[in-house]
Amino acid sequence: MPTSDLLNQDLQEREPADMADPGADEPSPRTESPDGEGRVSEDRSLLHQRLAIRELIDTEVSYLHMLQLCASDIRGRLQQLPQGDLDVLFSNIDDIVKVNSRFLHGLQETASREEDQVQLIGNLFLEFQEELEQVYKVYCASYDQALLLVDTYRKEPELQREIQGIIEAVVPQAGSSGLSFLLVIPLQRITKYPLLLQKILENTLPDASAYPVLQRATHALQDVNANINEYKRRKEVASKYTKVEQLTLRERLARINTHTLSKKTTRLSQLLKQEAGLVPRTEDKEFDDLEERFHWVSLCVKETKNNVAAYLDNLEAFLHFRPQECDLDVGGGPVVQYCSLTRDLQLQAFPEFKRRLEGLVWQPLCSLAKTLAGPQNLIKKRLDKLLDFERVEEKLLEVGSVSYEEEVARHTYQALNSMLVAELPQFNQLAMQWLRQILCTFVALQRDLAKQVLQRAEGSLAQLPHHHIPELAFRKLVEDALGQTSHQLHSFQKNFEKVLPPPTIQPLLPGAERQVQALLSRYGPGKLYQVTSNISGAGTLDLTLPRGQVVALLQNKDTKGNSSRWLVDTGGHRGYVPAGKLELYRVVPRDKELRGQAGPHEDSRHLTPEPTPVPVSSVPTMTQVVAVYPFLARSSHEVSLQAGQPVTVLEAQDKKGNPEWSLVEVDGQRGYVPSSFLARAPSPAPWGWSLPS
Amino acid sequence: MSWIPFKIGQPKKQIVSKTVERDFEREYGKLQQLEEQTKRLQKDMKKSTDADLAMSKSAVKISLDLLSNPLCEQDQDFLNMVTALDTAMKRMDAFNQEKVNQIQKTVIEPLKKFGSVFPSLNMAVKRREQALQDYRRLQAKVEKYEEKEKTGPVLAKLHQAREELRPVRDDFEAKNKQLLDEMPRFYNSRLDYFQPSFESLIRAQASPSNSRLLILPLWMSTLPCF
Repeated sequence: MPTSDLLNQDLQEREPADMADPGADEPSPRTESPDGEGRVSEDRSLLHQRLAIRELIDTEVSYLHMLQLCASDIRGRLQQLPQGDLDVLFSNIDDIVKVNSRFLHGLQETASREEDQVQLIGNLFLEFQEELEQVYKVYCASYDQALLLVDTYRKEPELQREIQGIIEAVVPQAGSSGLSFLLVIPLQRITKYPLLLQKILENTLPDASAYPVLQRATHALQDVNANINEYKRRKEVASKYTKVEQLTLRERLARINTHTLSKKTTRLSQLLKQEAGLVPRTEDKEFDDLEERFHWVSLCVKETKNNVAAYLDNLEAFLHFRPQECDLDVGGGPVVQYCSLTRDLQLQAFPEFKRRLEGLVWQPLCSLAKTLAGPQNLIKKRLDKLLDFERVEEKLLEVGSVSYEEEVARHTYQALNSMLVAELPQFNQLAMQWLRQILCTFVALQRDLAKQVLQRAEGSLAQLPHHHIPELAFRKLVEDALGQTSHQLHSFQKNFEKVLPPPTIQPLLPGAERQVQALLSRYGPGKLYQVTSNISGAGTLDLTLPRGQVVALLQNKDTKGNSSRWLVDTGGHRGYVPAGKLELYRVVPRDKELRGQAGPHEDSRHLTPEPTPVPVSSVPTMTQVVAVYPFLARSSHEVSLQAGQPVTVLEAQDKKGNPEWSLVEVDGQRGYVPSSFLARAPSPAPWGWSLPS
Repeated sequence: MSWIPFKIGQPKKQIVSKTVERDFEREYGKLQQLEEQTKRLQKDMKKSTDADLAMSKSAVKISLDLLSNPLCEQDQDFLNMVTALDTAMKRMDAFNQEKVNQIQKTVIEPLKKFGSVFPSLNMAVKRREQALQDYRRLQAKVEKYEEKEKTGPVLAKLHQAREELRPVRDDFEAKNKQLLDEMPRFYNSRLDYFQPSFESLIRAQASPSNSRLLILPLWMSTLPCF
């Protein structure tokens, strides 16, 4: 609604009588008199000019006086109103007071310079043009809101009476009009300037040196007023559309009525016509470029926001894992220091980093992203209004005139467009500045974090055993250390693996030993198997064997190729037995019976594995040994040796535990020989074989 | 001649002394604890380094996305700033990667190796347990025959049972001793193992490349940041 224009007109008509107006409006009597009286009219013009100038200055004085009364006295006494209200009512009246004080001062100075006064006044206006526009446009734009407030006050009689009382006390001539009367004064003043200037101009001779300046000044002030109106209209339009409304679906549906439907259909048909090429689209390169840039800026902001969010998530995840909380039961040293360093970092340095990141980077990014919504909406609306505008233009061409609403639509589009064109570049620039700042902050925070980490790490570093060693040398050191310990670990592992499953040796059936020896000598140790559970043969070639019997393997499959049926020799019979009931047989030495019930500890000494890589079995193996020197037995406990004779060591010590004597078997005889006479043979004996490792 | 194991109960004689058993439990318990902690440490360390890398990767993404924005072609100032940012982020990422590699080599790999010994240990303990069970069973059998009236067949069976028992008993004793010896040694070896790892961890944090990181943003501040 172009209220400002109407208001403008209103103001020009409504001049309150109580405004001190000494120089009453006098119509300049331009009586065209024949040539002789040209001089007289000239003088009269000059007189009118002087009067007009006087009027200008005097009204300025009283205007400023009223302003100051409003700004300080009245505002000061309206204490019962909240500060927010006062700000809306009086807007930037202080700025106006400042500008107009200086302006008045300038005006008063021109009074001393008689001849040049007109020119100086013109120059003064031109000088102040920009400032006046800036300061008054703000006030005018918020005037409507101030009026709304005044209306609400009027509804409360109590408050109204108080306000009236204050006004009457300060400005008696205000009468019963109240606040609205006072607040409108600046609007009246700014619109009066062009009129006052016009009056001076009318009474100035066109060939006077001051004329062009004055003319320019008049036009300038007219422009100021036009700009203020435009600014106000833009603000109204913008405030109408910038509110990004959160409507529910139901609310949106409720909003649909015939009017909105027709509006939208018209737009859609316009758009379709454009797409189809039936109607030329209004190309506005300048706007399109701006919009594109805005779009890229929004893209920057959105992507950065998403990426920072991802970064924060990862930071969160990082803080979640606490390797330093593991307890390795280590008293001191680097492990403990590492734990305390990491704890420090996780409890202090990183949380602070996170906090700062959230406050100094994330929050501003979110705010920046939010500000994008307003312009986005306006751009969208502009497009809609553009379609309306184009339709109206078409209609104008066809019909010649348009309705009031259509005129309004035109104006709205133009207002939107001009506002966007004027303000988008600034917005883009500000948004980029802000983003730049945020990114610089991000980097600065990273640096601070790195500094923190470095500081604390260096503190710990100083306490480490090898801190004086340079990095490369240290790495070599660690590599070597780890290599060594890795060897150690490997040997541990091997050792643990050597703890073998228990032997499932069945005791020999009585009297079977000789049979076992026979089988052993015929087939060799690798072929002996023991029956683990009773076998009852079914077929003619199957054997029936009791548990514990030792047999020799002849074939590990039968004639048909069945590998679960093995052909074995019992020493007397041959036949088939199921392979599952056989287990590899390990020969147990008989010397245990000779030694009697020796304690388990003695045995275990032979059973503990040595740290050398020789795999030691849990069953004592018979090692192949050879006699180096000849030895003559001197008693029945001893046995004779020949040099080079292979012997079988049954026990490497005597009954009393003396290692100087060994119990050996040679040539079927058993007895003790000096241990030093024996040596290990390089080739393994048929008796001694190590368990498969 | 099939023995029904259920008929035979627990041996009367306490075959393994209480102190030995207690010692064993204590040592094994410590190792079990260590195993758990090692596993946990390995897992946490891996996850922590992964998260660290993810962080710097997402930082790099910030500048990458900005670089691909068309504004870079239009606005020289913007391009300068984004390029500087990109360089900074990439350097940070490179440092992180290097740090993580170092950690992988000197901490995580060794931890894995350390942990790989435990399955063997656990198997060995199981086998000892099994041997103990066998030992108990056979001991009970022997005792049963010892209590019976010493007739011929009984004596033969007693002899047989004693023959069966002997190797099993020896086997158990062997396993027991071996483990009692090795377990504390293994437990103590962790010190030699972990200290160098952790020392290099700390050094990775304080390495010169980290301090190089501090210099980076300084030349970002030479850019016009109003």
